[in-house]
Amino acid sequence: MTNSIEIQGLNKSYPDFALRNINLTMPGGAIMGLIGENGAGKTTLMKCILNLVRRDSGTITLMGHDNIKEERLAKAEIGVVLDECFFHDTLRPKDVGAILAPAFRDSWDGALYRDYLDKFQLPQGKLIKEFSRGMKMKLSLAAALAHRPKLLLLDEATAGLDPVVRDEILDEFLSFICDEEHSILISSHITSDLEKVADYITYLHQGQIVLSDAKDTILDSYGRVGCTAAQLETIDPADLVRVRRGSFGCEALVSDRKTFHRSYPSLMVDPIALEDIMLFIGKGASA
Amino acid sequence: MTGLVLKDILVLRKSLRTYLLFLIFYFIMALLDLFSIAFITAFVQVIVMILPMSSFAYDEQAKWDRYAMTLPLGRRAVVGAKYIFVVLMILVAATFALLSCVALSITAAEPVEENLLSGVASLSVGLLAVELTLPLNYKLGAERARPFLFAIIFIPVILFVLAARAGWLDGLDQLSPDVVLPLLCLIPLLLLLGLPVSYLVSCRIVEQKEF
Repeated sequence: MTNSIEIQGLNKSYPDFALRNINLTMPGGAIMGLIGENGAGKTTLMKCILNLVRRDSGTITLMGHDNIKEERLAKAEIGVVLDECFFHDTLRPKDVGAILAPAFRDSWDGALYRDYLDKFQLPQGKLIKEFSRGMKMKLSLAAALAHRPKLLLLDEATAGLDPVVRDEILDEFLSFICDEEHSILISSHITSDLEKVADYITYLHQGQIVLSDAKDTILDSYGRVGCTAAQLETIDPADLVRVRRGSFGCEALVSDRKTFHRSYPSLMVDPIALEDIMLFIGKGASA
Repeated sequence: MTGLVLKDILVLRKSLRTYLLFLIFYFIMALLDLFSIAFITAFVQVIVMILPMSSFAYDEQAKWDRYAMTLPLGRRAVVGAKYIFVVLMILVAATFALLSCVALSITAAEPVEENLLSGVASLSVGLLAVELTLPLNYKLGAERARPFLFAIIFIPVILFVLAARAGWLDGLDQLSPDVVLPLLCLIPLLLLLGLPVSYLVSCRIVEQKEF
């Protein structure tokens, strides 16, 4: 099966920020969650994938198509939902359908678009300016799905939505992924959403990928060690990924909690959530 | 590309409807000899200049271009759609101005040459403004490009006034309308030739742009 996304040696620099040596492979039929703090480079990476910004070096292929040389072919198979709704306030959902249909030519399915509008309870004739944020994101999703894309790119698409709407949208992602040719790359701060739906997690930190693996592998192997400062001194720094020292004790992130437990049986190692891994890497210090 | 042209029409439909009503109103007033046809020709010029600016402003507000670049169209098609929309508007406005001139010269026995000249002059200024402001809009954005529109309108006017005061235009009024009319009609045609150049400049700007 063709990989949905292949990124090799991607570099993109700005005066105050740089994406450095990004290598990423996303297999078909999977959901990959892209996590990272604000300014870590998630949106820049999405923009590079969509060829919205000029990269300094590297190659990107989407569904087997080079995203620059075969840009149209690549984009014909992609549905995009970015962090806001880009449709003008004076348009209506039925207008959006009329505008996008010629852009996707034969692959646009007007009936499917209307089905999504009905499913998401979006009135076809209502002005977009009267829509709530949740409705606007659902409209963006309907527009992104109506040409039957194979790859969905979602940049903070669930940010700022209430839990009910978020759950509704996540369900839609799960039904989209039922087709094994389909895949989703979703960047989000809401790690609990990704824990629910993602198969793979990629963590961007200060423009670099610091972690990219299957979600279950990460959650099964990473762990949090709680200990005193004196106990911390006895641990080989090579066994620790990150450390946080506080006035009441210390805690450390380990990448293989079973091996760690065998090496240090007196220390407790707990499973850890994605959010805590982010906090360790974002705020912790090297061991 | 047709979808993007349709987008501009749909986004601006309220303004288009209002402009059309104004044009019809001015036309009726001119027919009744209450307004001069200059109202129509001047308004046509305003429409030709304002519509593209409004279109850019709305696109900027919605951050539309970023979304448009994610569609399987390519950057040139996005720029091309804007030019097609503008040319369509120019054609509609020019047709209306032309028909008004002819109709008024028949019904009100107004001199058709003079009316046509004022229409041609308005259209020329509108076309020139469009050709220069479209690339500027892509380069600077709608807000920062707006002052240039005023410069494009006022600088030629000031130059004409200064030239007239200096006596450089003396004798122009002595020229026969048979000579002047075809010459002046060439101006918008020449300016139309500038549209592809303007389009290529815009494409180059957009190709370098990051969204």
